[in-house]
Amino acid sequence: MQDFFSKHPKVWRAFDIFLPFLATLAALGVGAVMLMAFDANPVVAYGALLEGAFGSTNALADTLVKATPLLLVALGICIAFRGGVINIGGEGQLILGAVASTAVGLVNPDMPGYLLIPLALFVGFLAGGAWGAIPGFLKAYFNVNEILSTIMMNAIAVQGMNYLLREPMIDPVQLEAASRIPQTARLSAAFDLPRLIPTRLHLGTGLAIIAAFLVFIFLWRTVVGYRIRAVGLNPNASRYAGINVPRHIVLSLLLSGAFCGLAGAIQVYGLHHRMFTDGSASGFTGSAGFNGIVVALFGQLHPLGAIPASFLFGALIVGANKLQRVMQVPSSFIIALNGLVVIFVVSADYWRRRMAQRREADLVGEMTASSEAEVPT
Amino acid sequence: MDSSPLILTLASIVLASTPLIIAVCGEILTERSGIVNLSLDGTMLMSAMTGFIVAFETDSVWIGFLAAMAVGAFFAFIVAFGSIRLRQSQFAIGFVLTLLGDDLSAFLGQNYTRIPGPMVSHYPIPILKDIPIIGPILFNQDPIVYFAFILVGVTWFWLFRTQPGLRLRSAGDRPEAGFARGVSINLQRYLYTILGGALVGIAGASYSLNIKIGWSEGITRGLGWIALAIVIFGGWSPIRGMFGALLFGATKALATYLQRTFPEVSVVAFNALPWVLMILVLLLVGSDFSERVISIAPKSMRRPLQRMLRISPPQALGSTFVED
Repeated sequence: MQDFFSKHPKVWRAFDIFLPFLATLAALGVGAVMLMAFDANPVVAYGALLEGAFGSTNALADTLVKATPLLLVALGICIAFRGGVINIGGEGQLILGAVASTAVGLVNPDMPGYLLIPLALFVGFLAGGAWGAIPGFLKAYFNVNEILSTIMMNAIAVQGMNYLLREPMIDPVQLEAASRIPQTARLSAAFDLPRLIPTRLHLGTGLAIIAAFLVFIFLWRTVVGYRIRAVGLNPNASRYAGINVPRHIVLSLLLSGAFCGLAGAIQVYGLHHRMFTDGSASGFTGSAGFNGIVVALFGQLHPLGAIPASFLFGALIVGANKLQRVMQVPSSFIIALNGLVVIFVVSADYWRRRMAQRREADLVGEMTASSEAEVPT
Repeated sequence: MDSSPLILTLASIVLASTPLIIAVCGEILTERSGIVNLSLDGTMLMSAMTGFIVAFETDSVWIGFLAAMAVGAFFAFIVAFGSIRLRQSQFAIGFVLTLLGDDLSAFLGQNYTRIPGPMVSHYPIPILKDIPIIGPILFNQDPIVYFAFILVGVTWFWLFRTQPGLRLRSAGDRPEAGFARGVSINLQRYLYTILGGALVGIAGASYSLNIKIGWSEGITRGLGWIALAIVIFGGWSPIRGMFGALLFGATKALATYLQRTFPEVSVVAFNALPWVLMILVLLLVGSDFSERVISIAPKSMRRPLQRMLRISPPQALGSTFVED
């Protein structure tokens, strides 16, 4: 196999790109064994999953709608990881973005939609960014571990959300009724993000894909993006090169949080049209803040790689609902399946790197052999 | 026997802190060898679930604890294998395992939620329990509580007073130097990551078998992250870590008390309080605040203060080591 790849570098490159998908297939294979343990026919089960995710226009639209927040969060995670910081605060930043953008819509009900929607999305972007910048600031200037501070900021954001939705921002109708469901009033219909086709698919998906290209350009084609990556690769060398390291650490966490905040704002304006809580973080976010990290890892921490990765995970989530309905398999099965996919992709990456190393060694060996042959004896 | 409300509260704080103390000791052993096991939150949920179910089915809490240890060790093994052998980011693996443990425990434990089961039996230590004040707080408890305190002492002694402890610390502080002296760095890391994971397993099971008896989805959620924060707060020392865990338990008790005293303040303020406090603690520990305290202290106090306040993480923490 090694010889085959050395002789056909193009095949090797194609293989390289599709390796995560092959790894996904392998994970689904293990999932099939698990399904059989539940006395479920894996062919029927995966058929239901595929049909649920891609079977109709509506299914496909739902997949894209689920993929949208995952993609935006993954973009934020890419920026943070490239800047050498680990942002596990996506959940909290998403919540902040959603709450702040909802407040904008509630306070200005009479504004025209074309003005309010951009404003609200921008406020969501800023709010998430501010929530991300706090751990960034603590990390850069006070050496506080960002993994822990972002996790704790999540917990604080959830409590803040619960307070706001139960007291000041609660729907006046709910306040009258005895139920007091903690949710805001529905935002004015003029503020709904435009639907693309008569499904649940909204403009936010397009915005997310554009954002992916912008993040790519930002990280690889601008000076600030270059500095963020330099700080991520080697903070000491960056400092000697005159880069203000603490400032770029704050900036990468700020931008990271901002994209998570944008994801929250788009969830509100594109999908839910209001903010609600069940007391936990995942009630509103659907754990997008966490799953986005998995998506980013799957996309090899590249903004453009995150596009297919988010689509795949969106399909897994939507298809899983169908699978669960058809086969009566517990919903946690699908989450375990997601974990399997990630573990397989991670191990495949190791295998790929080892193959690449061997290939290089082979090439070097051939070159030295041929140069030795040229030496006159 | 003294049973004033204050003493009962203190005793309950000690009891509630045991899972944290045990998990912190385990993670300190792991991190001192140079590996960060970030999966603590998921591991504790998995082991709390496994420990309860196995204890329920076999009707023996001790077999439950053994099963929980095995689960914790297995999760830790994945982290060690992934970072040492596969050279992947240990943070990424640990985080994915956290999510997996959370969901997998909810899935596997769904038929065992909210049912009564076996628990660790109360075992006051004779004579010692009759010491005024200390007795009812420390010695009128369960075997797991005694185990936690013994573990703190043993871990400290092992780390700082024995040869194997020195080898362990060399793996985390100066792997090259340790390797040159004939220490197999990666063997140390495997060993202590797995041992640390097994202790985290005990911590998870001690929650579901000793504090809140039984299993329900996400019962220990958040504790793992707190334990990771306390490891930093404790400066990678088991004794300071123990005080950190007790302090955290005390704040939670205080929050509950304040909540009852001031019912007009929104409950979310008290729910958020421990987290805000943890961030502030990390801030104090991480900034040069402690250095400032040391510099203004009287001269004779400086050395002991330095030993108390100065924190240095294992220098090779989180980096991979290639033996060649």
